[in-house]
Amino acid sequence: MDLSVVNEALASKSFDKIADICDSLMLQAAAEGVPFRDQWPFALHLLAHIYVDDVNSARFLWKSIPATIKESQPELVAAWKIGQKLWTRDYAGVYEAIRGFDWTQQTQLLVAAFSELYTTRMFALLQSAYSTISIQDAAQFLGMNEDDATNYVLRQGWTVDPTSRMLTVTKQAIVKEQKLDPGKLQRLTEYVFHLEH
Amino acid sequence: MEGLVTQIQGLSGTASDVLSLQNLLKQADDSLHAESTRLPPFLDQLDPSKHSLGYLYFLEACTAGPVTQEQASSFVLTIARFISSCVAEQIRLAPDKFISVCKRFKDQVLLLEEPLRGVAPMLTAIRKLQLSSEHLTALHPEFLLLCLLSKCYKTALSILDEDIFEVDQPRDLFLYCYYGGMISIGQKQFRKALELLHNVVTAPMSTVNAIAVEAFKKYILVSLIHHGQFPTNLPKYASSGAQRNLKTLCQPYVELASSYSNGKIADLETYVEANKDKFESDNNLGLVKQAVSSMYKRNIQRLTQTYLTLSLQDIANRVQLNSPKEAEMHVLQMIKDGEIYATINQKDGMVRFLEDPEQYKTCEMIERIGSSIQRLMTVSKKLNVMDELMSCDPLYLAKAGRERQRFDFDDFDNVPPRYNI
Repeated sequence: MDLSVVNEALASKSFDKIADICDSLMLQAAAEGVPFRDQWPFALHLLAHIYVDDVNSARFLWKSIPATIKESQPELVAAWKIGQKLWTRDYAGVYEAIRGFDWTQQTQLLVAAFSELYTTRMFALLQSAYSTISIQDAAQFLGMNEDDATNYVLRQGWTVDPTSRMLTVTKQAIVKEQKLDPGKLQRLTEYVFHLEH
Repeated sequence: MEGLVTQIQGLSGTASDVLSLQNLLKQADDSLHAESTRLPPFLDQLDPSKHSLGYLYFLEACTAGPVTQEQASSFVLTIARFISSCVAEQIRLAPDKFISVCKRFKDQVLLLEEPLRGVAPMLTAIRKLQLSSEHLTALHPEFLLLCLLSKCYKTALSILDEDIFEVDQPRDLFLYCYYGGMISIGQKQFRKALELLHNVVTAPMSTVNAIAVEAFKKYILVSLIHHGQFPTNLPKYASSGAQRNLKTLCQPYVELASSYSNGKIADLETYVEANKDKFESDNNLGLVKQAVSSMYKRNIQRLTQTYLTLSLQDIANRVQLNSPKEAEMHVLQMIKDGEIYATINQKDGMVRFLEDPEQYKTCEMIERIGSSIQRLMTVSKKLNVMDELMSCDPLYLAKAGRERQRFDFDDFDNVPPRYNI
């Protein structure tokens, strides 16, 4: 079973492609009738789904793995713990699950990349959903201790009130593209033509 | 037999040769079936990538009879390899045989309890059999079934994303949309699930069938999850059989929907608990639970219509949650999923509800609207073509002619007063 494509993707940091690569390799191996399950990198496959925020596919993959393999691969169980926390929306628990295991070298790459991505996503969520939030809660959401969390958000433009231990959110104005190009004129002509007939 | 093999090897080169080969094969079909046990060694003399049609005839005859457990594994591999290497143009000359072989392939894969083995080959088979991506074949529902059983929901979505305009057999459409609905539910794409299940329950059917009944049960639940309500009546274009009978056949679900519309979580949960066994035996308990938890969302959304700001404690009270913290988590999740526009102010313990910030002025939005218009134009053109075809259909004209007296003269001025076939 040739997993070189997966290794290349890991080496080139194309983490978002790994889920699709694993899916199609697995289907091919199954079609050939090869008994692939014992050597399959399930933990990596699971984490790849989690990386692209597809917790549904991660769940289904977990369900389809035989119990014997789950029992013999503690790294796989640890990888699923991250998925479980995401599924139950235990935002702070995700960080615990990430840090609670000594990952192997290859898996560590993916886990570290996911951890960074997750923190960025959580910060974006806090930015859009809160106008004020306690330092304590923010620290939980970002998986940092309270001082690190405060410094992180201050760098992003938020303000802090040390007496009440409250952070005030500053939203960055996102400028979205509004220019039109002349190619659209052709399309408008088509619409009008269609409506006339 | 040997003579036939030589002919296959000789006549598989050009398109016209293949057509003459087809006639020979049709004549030899009965004898192939009679000698099915002798055939497997002959398969080795044929190359599926060159002699696809001949190979198909032999393969179909080989697999026609009962298959033992030992044979199953090797047959599965043979068929999988055939599917991946056969030539589409040749197998399309004998679509029924190809479909039979693929269906037996599915049966044997399930016998071996390895649905995953069948997913990739079945997808290849669909692509080779289809005349276009708009064509629904008998293999589509088989593929979805394999995806469901092997839990490859994501792979199934690639097929479900394609629009279907041509169907071979109505039964295929029923099963395809029902399985497709289940897959979409699994991937939490409720809008797509609703569309597919809607197709099943409103499809023309002279008598209500079991697939439609099961689909209707899920349709009610997904309606509640996605829209927060269930329309009491099916649209007018649904068959009269469906309109009369589906609700009586799915009574517990209809009652669930009316309990849901009263907005009281406690009552809903009591009803679910009392009828748990029925839902469980239909394999719908998970979906029912999702419907129940969607009520919290619905009730919070309703608050946005009346209030500009509300305290977390108030939200918890009105929506029957246990604490302001729980309310905060619910609101946070809804903001994340784009189901509500709001900001949470922890300092004051308040939530401020906002307007949708979308101004529909960005390039991205224009692209979206543009592609929707393109799709509508395509559908409109197709409808025109279908309309023209139908106006020439003798059955339609006969019925229109017969019912002429009931309508205005202007509606049917193209139909002669007496139309006899």
